[in-house]
Amino acid sequence: MAAAETPSAALRRRDLCSRGIRLARKMRSDVADLLDAYVERQGLDASASVAALDGVPAAAAERWGEQTESQRLLDNLAAYRAFRALLTEMLEEQREQAAPADAALREALAAVLLQVSAFAYHLEELLRLESRGPPGEEGAGPPAGPRLGLFERKLRGLGVLRELAQWAVRSTRDLRQLAKPGPGGGGGGAAAPAGPAEGQ
Amino acid sequence: SWYPVPSTECVPKDAISKSGRGVLMWHSHIQYERVGADVTMKCGSMDWDAAVTWTANGTDIDDSRLNGSYLVLRNVDLMQSGQYSCYEGSSWHLKYQTYLRVGTPPKEPVLMCRSNNYPKGFYCSWHLPSPTYIPNSFNISVIHGTREMVCEKDIFPKNRCHIRYLQLFSTVKYKVTLTVTNALGKNSTTLTFDEFTIVKPDPPENVVAKPVPNNPRRLEVAWQNPSSWPDPESFPLKFFLRYRPLILDQWQHVELSDGTSHTITDAYAGKEYIIQVAAKDNDIGTWSDWSVAVHATPWMEEPKHLTTEAQVTETTSTSTSSFMPPPTTKICDKGAVVGSGAVAVCWTAGLVLAAYGVLFI
Repeated sequence: MAAAETPSAALRRRDLCSRGIRLARKMRSDVADLLDAYVERQGLDASASVAALDGVPAAAAERWGEQTESQRLLDNLAAYRAFRALLTEMLEEQREQAAPADAALREALAAVLLQVSAFAYHLEELLRLESRGPPGEEGAGPPAGPRLGLFERKLRGLGVLRELAQWAVRSTRDLRQLAKPGPGGGGGGAAAPAGPAEGQ
Repeated sequence: SWYPVPSTECVPKDAISKSGRGVLMWHSHIQYERVGADVTMKCGSMDWDAAVTWTANGTDIDDSRLNGSYLVLRNVDLMQSGQYSCYEGSSWHLKYQTYLRVGTPPKEPVLMCRSNNYPKGFYCSWHLPSPTYIPNSFNISVIHGTREMVCEKDIFPKNRCHIRYLQLFSTVKYKVTLTVTNALGKNSTTLTFDEFTIVKPDPPENVVAKPVPNNPRRLEVAWQNPSSWPDPESFPLKFFLRYRPLILDQWQHVELSDGTSHTITDAYAGKEYIIQVAAKDNDIGTWSDWSVAVHATPWMEEPKHLTTEAQVTETTSTSTSSFMPPPTTKICDKGAVVGSGAVAVCWTAGLVLAAYGVLFI
């Protein structure tokens, strides 16, 4: 558990959390638009189910309300670093396809990638404030898997964007928890009270 | 002459009914038939050509309804529900008894799921679009991915159950299937939804609107988060306020991203207002229903006493006319005139009347 914060550190934390929340909300809005465009351009069914994907961080959390601050930050950072690599890969694939009609899609993808990178940096700043510092990045990109066919890649892209949209909401909630003053928020490692019931 | 509401009374074994006929233990046999069906009842083990008497709720049934010893009811309707008994010819021994319940198989039930206490869980409630007139049983299943979740039934109302979220922020949809079954058939419906889409808070509570002293165009409105919303600090709500004077149909709207109060600054002076508030999670879901409406009228200045001013005018004026309006008399009520032209209209009317009054001096 971190030592008691100085007032300036508390202020810096609240500022980072506020800006992070705004960034996450903007990101979520842009990802929602990107999802619509992606589904349309890729000829997919918006309601298509996508199975759990290797290397794509799932936003779903059990006992979310009981997470410590450090865990929240670390989970978020790991996720957004992974999304940064996944979106970079998606962008490369889109460029390879090089269909002129998809230029707008590529631009939207690039814009979201920028936001993801910015958010990851934001999280690193928050971790530095915890005197913990961000962990090093483990690898340059997502784990290499078998080369997927075109349709599988499209579906995977759909899954990536869906999880990113969920993460953007989760991150908003996480940062609100972190911004709360007192024990359980704002400088402690105590778990936040909110969340679903314990193990059923 | 047939059947009123069926009796559910049980009679003891070997009791004698009012008609003097023997009765058979507790009748436990219930027969369910569809509306419009043709029903044939056998008199227990009696032969077809045996002499029998049938009764419906204790009233003898005309022989025209019989086919031998069988009772034939054609195209049954709801009114024909009741207790049917068959007695042997002359001995009046009870040979058969049944309780006929006429009804319908269930239509597709109406199912709704909603989370008004996010992130704790959600509830599902259901009803049948039309009654079946016979007992129904309901079974609900909730699947999330590969996991079957428990839906804890409420004691009241009976047609509702609650599910606790085991995960948050999941992209996996929930699938809820409700099956309704009765003796004449079954039906079911399925809802599939995301965690976020069913989030809808209850309306804000304790909405209060008050005038602001010395401010004829302001109303202060305050409210509280719905008590069912478990953690407004971590999951803050935003609000939508609507208000209008009672005399107008068009609402004004204000969206508020934080706080549980707002000051209306453009109210029409002296007009009674109706005000409502709705709530929504800041990030997900849909707006609540509107709160209970509250009424309020902006602060008004006390009207000055007219008699005193009229007396002052009479003692100072040289005119013989009593028509000239005293300077402080309001020619028109500004509050009754809507819009920025109110002042201009009042002054114009004043000038006209003043000019008219001069003619009579």
